[in-house]
Amino acid sequence: MPTIRFVTSNAAVDFPDGDDVNLLRVAIRNDCNVPYKCASGNCGTDRVLVVDGAENLSPPRKRERERLGELLDQGYRLCCQTYAMGDVSITWDPEQKALDDRWVDKSLPSKADEALKRRWLSAADTAGAERMLESEAD
Amino acid sequence: MTELLSKDDFRTALEDAIKGREAKNASFSLAWANGELKREHFARWAENHYHYVGPFADYLGYIYANTPDHATDAKDFLLQNMYEEELSDVRHTDLLIRFAEACGTTRERVTDPRNMNAVTRGLQGWCYATAMREHFAVATAALVVGLESQVPAIYRKQYPPLLEKYGFSEDDTEFFDLHITSDEVHGERGYQIVLDYADTPELQQRSLDIVRAGAEMRFSYTKALYDTYVAADLGPEGPKDSADADLLSLGTG
Repeated sequence: MPTIRFVTSNAAVDFPDGDDVNLLRVAIRNDCNVPYKCASGNCGTDRVLVVDGAENLSPPRKRERERLGELLDQGYRLCCQTYAMGDVSITWDPEQKALDDRWVDKSLPSKADEALKRRWLSAADTAGAERMLESEAD
Repeated sequence: MTELLSKDDFRTALEDAIKGREAKNASFSLAWANGELKREHFARWAENHYHYVGPFADYLGYIYANTPDHATDAKDFLLQNMYEEELSDVRHTDLLIRFAEACGTTRERVTDPRNMNAVTRGLQGWCYATAMREHFAVATAALVVGLESQVPAIYRKQYPPLLEKYGFSEDDTEFFDLHITSDEVHGERGYQIVLDYADTPELQQRSLDIVRAGAEMRFSYTKALYDTYVAADLGPEGPKDSADADLLSLGTG
């Protein structure tokens, strides 16, 4: 029976022969304490270094390739995007944060902010308020 | 059910409630995976699928409103799920429409509710009614365990043929790639909410019943896509290994 070793949290989870299992789903189900946030391959919070068994992981698809870039060549994978088909061992920094600056630095505009502005605030919506502020300043 | 099941036994029972009812084994899913469909069939799928998954954040919003303040982890899960559907990256329905356009249909046709069939309309209505009227743990069992947790298994069979047999690009099919992985985590967290908050024998039984019903709703929706749009081209029986006939004899009782 293959085993996923979550080295940093000193946990190991077996899964049935012939199955392939999502690394983050296994980690969440078994309280293995892999940090994560979006679980969609956007933020990169759940990146892990594969120390053994990289050949037993699913090949990276578009979203993971784009998010990890050069980290992929250094042996990192995103748990949420990766399936294990055999023995594998992974480590991570328990304090690690997201890769994208916009997930870390809240002063930067987020994609959500941009979407909200497009949807709910137009120039026409704010023109009245701006005129009011200008007249108050006068 | 008169006694409270342990979490392990309850989880097994929830998983068993889906077995034999998986939408990946319905005729439309198998014809898709076997490479038998044409782009016009996918276009009709998208025109229906939009009306099932498009309001998913709305369904979750109703559950959110029914979730008590002390169930903070459940509320956070629902809110994050809604956020991911709509705002965290490209809106998921826009990814679906991107695929639909690659299949030759238009945004206008996809968003027009007159283009869904009656079974899709029934599934959408069931989702709304369940979200609005059921206990939040039961509604989570229905929509997240019964429906959403099936997505990775369905799309993992359907995504590779889209690239390899049907000739779509990775950009065209990002909707599927995204959901293969994101719904693994949504499904797992959904299980945890149900295991934690369906904490009476009655709520556990209701959850099991509604997971069965939800799985049958999704199966019926998928089968109806074949019957409505594909049978005329490929024959009324569907692929020989489909579970259509088996499901009709199961019932929920």
